[in-house]
Amino acid sequence: MEEYAREPCPWRIVDDCGGAFTMGAIGGGIFQAIKGFRNSPVGVSHRLRGSLTAIKTRAPQLGGSFAVWGGLFSMIDCSMVRMRGKEDPWNSITSGALTGAILAARNGPVAMVGSAAMGGILLALIEGAGILLTRFASTQFPNGKEPAEDVSQ
Amino acid sequence: LPASLGRGCLGRWLLATRGWALLGAGAGSCSCLRWRHQPPLLLRAARQSIGTQAGGLKAAKPGGNSKDVSVQRALNEETLVTAAQKVKEAGRDFTYFIVVLVGIGVTGGLFYVIFKELFSSSSPNKIYGDALEKCRSHPEIIGVFGDSIKGYGEATRRGRRQHVSHIEYVKDGLKHMRLKFYIEGTESGKQGTVHVEVKENLETGRFEVRYIFVDVETYPRRTIVIEDNR
Repeated sequence: MEEYAREPCPWRIVDDCGGAFTMGAIGGGIFQAIKGFRNSPVGVSHRLRGSLTAIKTRAPQLGGSFAVWGGLFSMIDCSMVRMRGKEDPWNSITSGALTGAILAARNGPVAMVGSAAMGGILLALIEGAGILLTRFASTQFPNGKEPAEDVSQ
Repeated sequence: LPASLGRGCLGRWLLATRGWALLGAGAGSCSCLRWRHQPPLLLRAARQSIGTQAGGLKAAKPGGNSKDVSVQRALNEETLVTAAQKVKEAGRDFTYFIVVLVGIGVTGGLFYVIFKELFSSSSPNKIYGDALEKCRSHPEIIGVFGDSIKGYGEATRRGRRQHVSHIEYVKDGLKHMRLKFYIEGTESGKQGTVHVEVKENLETGRFEVRYIFVDVETYPRRTIVIEDNR
């Protein structure tokens, strides 16, 4: 695929940050719409206005926190790829743990460790799901024995 | 009338100094200041409340027992739910239990996959890591690509290149695995493709390398053989 002829890494950070913001904003928008609708006085116009206010106030906040998480994760991931020189699932797990730790830094060391554990476990699960998906997708085209010995030296 | 009110106020002060905590010294002084305007009903009420307090303190022990008995009776009455409600509750608990089991199963499965991928010596990722280390320490590779070499696999749609393309097949009853990944020198910009094949060793149960060679993308194409155990 020639789209990836250039290096993905520095541009991946912006990509991930924007994607995370969109996910958070849309998800938060739907959630806050329902919540604002329910917590408003009776009457459709009141409820619609309440839900619109809730969306305008809360959805960007959720999108922002998602974007911070995604951007920080991608930055640490790209830094680790650059440092180690190879792309691994280990990078993602460590990046998740470090992101969790940094974002909980205000609450002291114990909270940082707990948050790092959560972030690492979450990323490990996501990586496991990704690996499962790629394995299943690749085993859909079963191949018999490959022609052996392509280089005879 | 003012004389009786004055006596009432003095009486109130005397009661307060006896230390009845519930009347409260502060409340006593506030209400005493208002004696001039309020009917003497309050003095009667105060006496009555003192009377009941004394009665309450004396009756504490047997009253306490009766209260305990009444609480136990209430608990026994709650367990007489109908059979239909019990079935509904059991059904709900069972559904939650199933949901929890499914969640634990899925989570456990994902953890198993990721552990096998990262820690088992027969996973493609591990073989890719070992082959990359061997490439990095090979003098010919260093000569072509430079000192720092980075390796990556197939590109997925998001641009992350963690998946290493591999094929597993069985030949002569032994498991073989063939891998292909790319390396690139960070300074020289030269790119290459690494082909690795490993064969399962039945005695140790691990995979041992059959061959590793690198195709360098220069013109004319060069092939560097790192290991050949065929």
